[in-house]
Amino acid sequence: MSRKTVIGSATIFVVIALWFLLTSVTQVISPGRFPSPSDTWLAFVQITGSGYANGVLTEHILRSVMLVTLGFLVAVCTGVPLGLLMGWSRRAEALINPVFLIIRPIPPLAWIPLAILWLGLGDMAKIMVIWFAAFVPSVINAYAGMRSLDRTLIEAAQMLGTPMLTFVREILLPGASPMIFTGLRLSLQASWTTLVAAELVGAMTGLGRVLNAAQQDLYPGMILVGMIAVTLCGWLMTVALGMAERRALAWNTAAKALN
Amino acid sequence: MGAIRFDNVGRVYGGKQGSVEALKGVHLDIADKEFMAVVGPSGCGKTTCLRFVAGFDQPTSGTVSVDDVRVTSPGPDRAVVFQQFALMPWKTVRGNIELGLRNNGVARAERDDRIGRILALMNLTSYADAFPHQLSGGMQQRVSIARAYVLDPDVLLMDEPFGALDAQTRVVMQEELVRLARRNPRTVMFITHAVEEAVYLADRVAVMTRQPGRIKEILDIRSVREAERWDEHEKIEDVMDLESFVHLRTQIWRSLRQEKAMEIA
Repeated sequence: MSRKTVIGSATIFVVIALWFLLTSVTQVISPGRFPSPSDTWLAFVQITGSGYANGVLTEHILRSVMLVTLGFLVAVCTGVPLGLLMGWSRRAEALINPVFLIIRPIPPLAWIPLAILWLGLGDMAKIMVIWFAAFVPSVINAYAGMRSLDRTLIEAAQMLGTPMLTFVREILLPGASPMIFTGLRLSLQASWTTLVAAELVGAMTGLGRVLNAAQQDLYPGMILVGMIAVTLCGWLMTVALGMAERRALAWNTAAKALN
Repeated sequence: MGAIRFDNVGRVYGGKQGSVEALKGVHLDIADKEFMAVVGPSGCGKTTCLRFVAGFDQPTSGTVSVDDVRVTSPGPDRAVVFQQFALMPWKTVRGNIELGLRNNGVARAERDDRIGRILALMNLTSYADAFPHQLSGGMQQRVSIARAYVLDPDVLLMDEPFGALDAQTRVVMQEELVRLARRNPRTVMFITHAVEEAVYLADRVAVMTRQPGRIKEILDIRSVREAERWDEHEKIEDVMDLESFVHLRTQIWRSLRQEKAMEIA
């Protein structure tokens, strides 16, 4: 173990010890405000065993992960090509950018009422809101990646007689991919933030629904379980994306390490 | 085949503060299989001339043609070696060299064969699977030259290809290019700042004026080189010591210095 991991684990241990001390032992923080470790554990046991808010924990997690994944994928599959197109063609940029500039400052959560009005309280409304939230970083970063592509590399590809499809696949996408991945990371974060908010407003199952129900039941232990579950899910998906990024950009990290 | 012709070529850049005439009335004929070096003060438009032949840029007046066909777009018959190498950082040495062959429908077996030969010729065989960033600048430029040569192009366009290299690497690359060019002659247009480099490599050297750029004079190197048997000397410093070499170099220097003097005055 490196020095950094040792210090890191020590910090976490101290925080947990403090938590235990302030809640269970001394009760400086009353159990009605912040749950003790044992309250949290009991809530965890309840939601994994008999269930809470229409389902057990795995059902809530699966539901949320599915919605995030779908919304994220829709956003990426539309946002990245659009950003690349805007970066490639001045005409496309002139055409699309004004609309984009109007939509961009709207907070994604402000779309929730409209989404519910259009699509009801079902999954589609949530996917739409996630899409709007995750779309913007995908577009902006793909655009920036396209713009940062070395002009002489494009000329070299032209000089080699590269046909369009090969050009997109072997020059354009890898060249823009460092920025594209930055966009994907931001999009994924935005997806999780938005999902929880959307589920808070109305859902049958899902981690946001757990949080909402626990708040109404004045159940701090369950609130904390929901928060931890959301954090872990978001973190795991970010880690998975990071692994995909390292694989795809092996050439880039190696090049950076050298310079 | 690969004869290049500049016919009354001009280039005007329009801007908000009025237009700038970068090139004016450029006439230049580069014969098939001839090695033409173009020297000139910076900003004289020599790189722009090369970009016309490559098809990256279009003149605002006059025509640039290869084998009497007007150049309108880039293509693998006119391979370019860039000053900054312009290798795809995400492709290996082999992948970079292979791209042009794949684009032009060369079958797998022939690709491997041609890549193998060019790698050997450029001393790159053991680096076939390396990525560009793992190589030195000189090696990267070798890959770039290999990428151009492997296409067997009619015309080779080199835009200050050794400008980004250190002095020693530069000398080695110049010697290698001479060997390559004598063994496997192509029409070459070679842009450079360095007068010695131009005299050492080229059959003829074109000297350009500054703003608007035009061809000031063309010196024949080849006849001197053959008469004085430069190619019998293996090392560049031996050639550079010859009286005939020094004489030509001085002649070009004087010509360039006049331009410089005018620029300052």
